[in-house]
Amino acid sequence: MTHLIDRRTVLAGLAGMAAAPAFAQSASGTVVLYTSNNAQSVDAVLGVAKEKQPNLKISTITGGSGQLLRRIEAEAAKPQADIFWSSSANTLGAFKQLFEPYASPAASAIPAALRHPENLWTASNVHLVVAMINKNQLGGKPAPKTWKDLIDPAFKGKIIIADPANSSTAFTILWGVDKLMGPDGLKALAANLTVSSAASTVLRAVGQGEFAMGLTFESNAYAYVAGGQREIALLYPTEGTFSTPEFQVLVKGAPAGAAAKAAYDLMLSKEAQIALLENAFRRPSRSDIDVSKYVELPAMESVKVFAIDEDEAAAKRDEFLKRWASYATATK
Amino acid sequence: MSQQFRSIWFWFSALALAILAVFLLYPLLNVLTGSIGSGGRNGWVTLAGDPKYLAAIVNTVVLGIAVTLTTTLIGVPLAYFTARFDFPGKSIVAVLPLITLVIPEVIAAQTWLMMLGNNGFITRWLGGHGIDMPTFYGWPGLITVMTFTYYTYIYIGTLAAIRGFDVQLEEAAQSLGTSPAQSRLKVMLPVVLPSVLASALLVFTLVVGNFATATILGSRVPLLSVLTYQAAVAEGGSDPVMQSTLATVSIALVMIVLFVQRWIVSRGRHEVTQGRGARAEKLRGLPGLVIGLSAAILVVVSLLPLGSIVVGAFTVSRGPVMRWGEWTTAHVERLVKIAPDPVINTLIYSAVATAIGITFSAIVSYLIVKKRNILTPALDYLTALPLALSGTIIGIGLIMSFNTGFLPITGTASIIVLAYIVRRLPFGIRNSSSTLYNIPNSIEEASISLGVPPVSTFFKVVLPLMLPAVAAAAVLTWTTTVAELSASIIVYSGGRETMPIQIYKLIDSNLMAPASAYGLVLVAVILIPIIVATRVFKIDLFSSKS
Repeated sequence: MTHLIDRRTVLAGLAGMAAAPAFAQSASGTVVLYTSNNAQSVDAVLGVAKEKQPNLKISTITGGSGQLLRRIEAEAAKPQADIFWSSSANTLGAFKQLFEPYASPAASAIPAALRHPENLWTASNVHLVVAMINKNQLGGKPAPKTWKDLIDPAFKGKIIIADPANSSTAFTILWGVDKLMGPDGLKALAANLTVSSAASTVLRAVGQGEFAMGLTFESNAYAYVAGGQREIALLYPTEGTFSTPEFQVLVKGAPAGAAAKAAYDLMLSKEAQIALLENAFRRPSRSDIDVSKYVELPAMESVKVFAIDEDEAAAKRDEFLKRWASYATATK
Repeated sequence: MSQQFRSIWFWFSALALAILAVFLLYPLLNVLTGSIGSGGRNGWVTLAGDPKYLAAIVNTVVLGIAVTLTTTLIGVPLAYFTARFDFPGKSIVAVLPLITLVIPEVIAAQTWLMMLGNNGFITRWLGGHGIDMPTFYGWPGLITVMTFTYYTYIYIGTLAAIRGFDVQLEEAAQSLGTSPAQSRLKVMLPVVLPSVLASALLVFTLVVGNFATATILGSRVPLLSVLTYQAAVAEGGSDPVMQSTLATVSIALVMIVLFVQRWIVSRGRHEVTQGRGARAEKLRGLPGLVIGLSAAILVVVSLLPLGSIVVGAFTVSRGPVMRWGEWTTAHVERLVKIAPDPVINTLIYSAVATAIGITFSAIVSYLIVKKRNILTPALDYLTALPLALSGTIIGIGLIMSFNTGFLPITGTASIIVLAYIVRRLPFGIRNSSSTLYNIPNSIEEASISLGVPPVSTFFKVVLPLMLPAVAAAAVLTWTTTVAELSASIIVYSGGRETMPIQIYKLIDSNLMAPASAYGLVLVAVILIPIIVATRVFKIDLFSSKS
């Protein structure tokens, strides 16, 4: 007897829990944003939205980009999300069928290279690769200036990077180094690197002084500089660093309809991108914002960028990772 | 009469077994079989081919044994002295377990780094005096932090056993001419040993399954738990074959230890009827001072993370950089106004899981202890099984099993609740059954022989006797469920973050201040029911009465 009650409670409880979230999302004028961005970025955009579009209510669901894209895929028959923000082109490529082409009027200030040719996605910001340096942990050596300096054997075990198999950031960096310095350069760098299997460890490890240097994106590392941690500095290697845009997409069959497009436009607006720059240090995709006016980041023109072919990188990913793995184990 | 009586409980057992088969065995089988990939890729070949995995296995075993030893060395003496002696400051030691249990382990790890990391204030202070501290990252940090995270489990388990120990046995031994010290060793040790071993096994399992502390502290030490977690939640898509293979290895590790433990326990079976507990002896003078001081140091060190939660939650931060000494309520305000979802999620999921889990465990433990039949040994083993499985493995198994098919609950809140129930099932069962062993069968037999039907006897006689234990089990299940991280972080989906998940994510992003704000709420949510239970309802949660 008691057991049946128990079982029924289980089922009723479970069914109730599963049904609850469905009610919360049915209000009109509400835009559901699936985002893999950090709290600072989301808060920045929501702040602008509250000011500019007070009638637009944006509710956010956060998670890893792969996780959220798979959720959108699972919900394809009855979409729950309106906008997904953000991921790189090579990740989004596998989910093309889930997106709605949309030529946002706000995108006119965004260079064509940062938009999908059929408007499936538009860049919301651009990442630059940096070496984040903790000057207290350099052991008295002068701070490196170039990629070449980083392969100095004196830095063996002092530089941390995420595992390129798990982290698209690390993949971008190592792929770029391979193109810039050739396989021998990559091999030499591998000898100095400590690979962390979790991407987030890189920032923490340098910020807290576990490692002297970490290879990561500028926006993440700059948070420590902006926060006032004096021993942290950013290095843009003089041979050239790498850049990769991050995109937002409109979900096909977005339930919010016109409101979803309004939110999409808003996220690409000058105000939103300035807020994103000031609060989360994301470089704007728009060409009409002078970065150095808002934060103490170098202007894009003053940073030498070494161009990478993202399509090639995506196509040869597995081959590259295999080669990388052989370098990484050879030097251990 | 007797025939019918037997059959009712038999069918209850069968039903319980069926539920366990679906929600525990089936997911576990999926994990085990998943290691042999479908696409011709065999996880075991990959495992054997990469030295990283072998290193991870060895490291995991070494860490597990090391932490089990250190926690036993701290937990057993502390329990012994707390149970048998009065010393200055004892009342503070009695509440100690509550506090260490509720502190999110990643915040504890972070606190240790703030002291002993390369940028920690102790490291810097010693560095200023010309003393170079050895690095805290990797092994030293892992062992230290996990010891202070887990010794409480040994302490609680041993304390309950020593308190339950009938002092008359010891007196009998002494009256037969054995010296006091010897009689304690010869009589008390065999009775207490199973509890110590059970707690030690629990600690071993928790260490083997711990990925959170290991991620924060041990990026240089490859560990099974971390590799399994990463295979399951990798940014670039999960690796189902490797996650299954690694999970299978850690199951095997714990199983081996489990069998050793069961073998030791089975060599001596003791049924102790509720006896007279020992009176605490007063310790004065030097011994009292030494023990009181050692306990005080332990209390202070255990409380440090709590201090950093309180301070961190109200400290100004700019992104990842903490401005110590500048105060704000912004983090708590943000939590309440903008991001209360993790708090609400945690409360709902844990409440549902505790209610279901405790009902189920009360019934199953009654079956196991009092209504033995052909099925109950299987029930006994199955309900203990989650102890041998890390949260990560339970999470992976549930995801694999209930993604599609007859019960597609992946991506819903239900799977989080289910993960909670499965993971904490042994806690409820162990708690309820330990009391049941102490309820003599004669009481129930007397009731039945006086004409009360078996089921009514259960409700009228056994349940009231069990109730304090069930209540204690409920509070413990609630506590450990609210703090659950490793299974829920595998099965949760966006928007359904719980507080521990949110805290882990924030600490992982080095956002100490908002993490502390959630930590503060988490501690409150756990402590309030405990305080209500112990103060208002006078439930003896941690056998703290002497």
